[in-house]
Amino acid sequence: MIGQIYIEGDLRIGGTIEGEVEVTGDVEVDDMAKVKASLAGRDVSIRGQVNGAVVARKRLVIARSGSLTGDVHVARLIIQDGAAFSGKVSMGGAAEVRPARAAEPEVPAAEPEVKALPEPPAPIVAAPVAAAPAPRVVAPAAHVPVPKVAAPAAQAPAARGKGGKAGKATTAPTRGKPKRR
Amino acid sequence: MDTQEAVAESMPMETTNQSDSKRDGLKKFTLGPNDSLEGKLTYDGHMTVDGGRAEGEFRVGGNIEIGNNTVVKALLEGSNVTIKGEVEGRLTARDKLTLGKSAKLNGDVQTRRLQIEDGASLNGYVRMGDFEQQAGS
Repeated sequence: MIGQIYIEGDLRIGGTIEGEVEVTGDVEVDDMAKVKASLAGRDVSIRGQVNGAVVARKRLVIARSGSLTGDVHVARLIIQDGAAFSGKVSMGGAAEVRPARAAEPEVPAAEPEVKALPEPPAPIVAAPVAAAPAPRVVAPAAHVPVPKVAAPAAQAPAARGKGGKAGKATTAPTRGKPKRR
Repeated sequence: MDTQEAVAESMPMETTNQSDSKRDGLKKFTLGPNDSLEGKLTYDGHMTVDGGRAEGEFRVGGNIEIGNNTVVKALLEGSNVTIKGEVEGRLTARDKLTLGKSAKLNGDVQTRRLQIEDGASLNGYVRMGDFEQQAGS
């Protein structure tokens, strides 16, 4: 699928995604998955291919089968032998807190908008939303100031209507772990 | 070009866990807590800094190991590089870079394989794979 996803809960990606993904809970990218998107979540674990910036409020794990190209803001980083990674790493102290927080809070509260993607152009849609407490797929309008990689892809299909279809406006940090220093 | 200015006795003593130095016949030296090394070192062997002080530019044919509670400010280049202490500076591992639990690395990294254990901290650019370009001057 292509576009922006905002999910309160956990997300497991098994297919192909392009755009922007923001999750209040954990993100898992399965072996076969191909992600060309910025990812934001609490615990992010990557076993497939990811191309894009990653923000993990708590922890990022790149398993031996995983590959990640993109800049990374994390509190904790684990890379298993065999994994492939290229990009800039910022972790610990200020580097971690700032982007992780800035990436999420403001906008989703302001204008969460349900972006209907009537015809997902990619035929290989496989993004099973696993165990999401509130499996709500909302696409908050422009936020996450980091999505260099994802931006072009995300912008295109996002016909950015400011439809004030206010879903629950809870922002990620409310549920996520409090700021860690 | 064997520039070697060690400002201390560097004795080939074995530290307790030399997990990475294999018996491959390469020489090795260890900087202990009372040793220090400053400058530019080219060495065809393994290097261990365990408690000692090291600053400069070290290019090593074998492996580099930076022990716990050790602070190293240097450009490092080695085959397998294992870090458990703190390192500041550019780092190149021709084979594998391992960051242990207590490791802190500030600097850009080029390596073929990378392993980072939980608890380690890293700030800098990471590049993996191809090796056309060497780190440093």
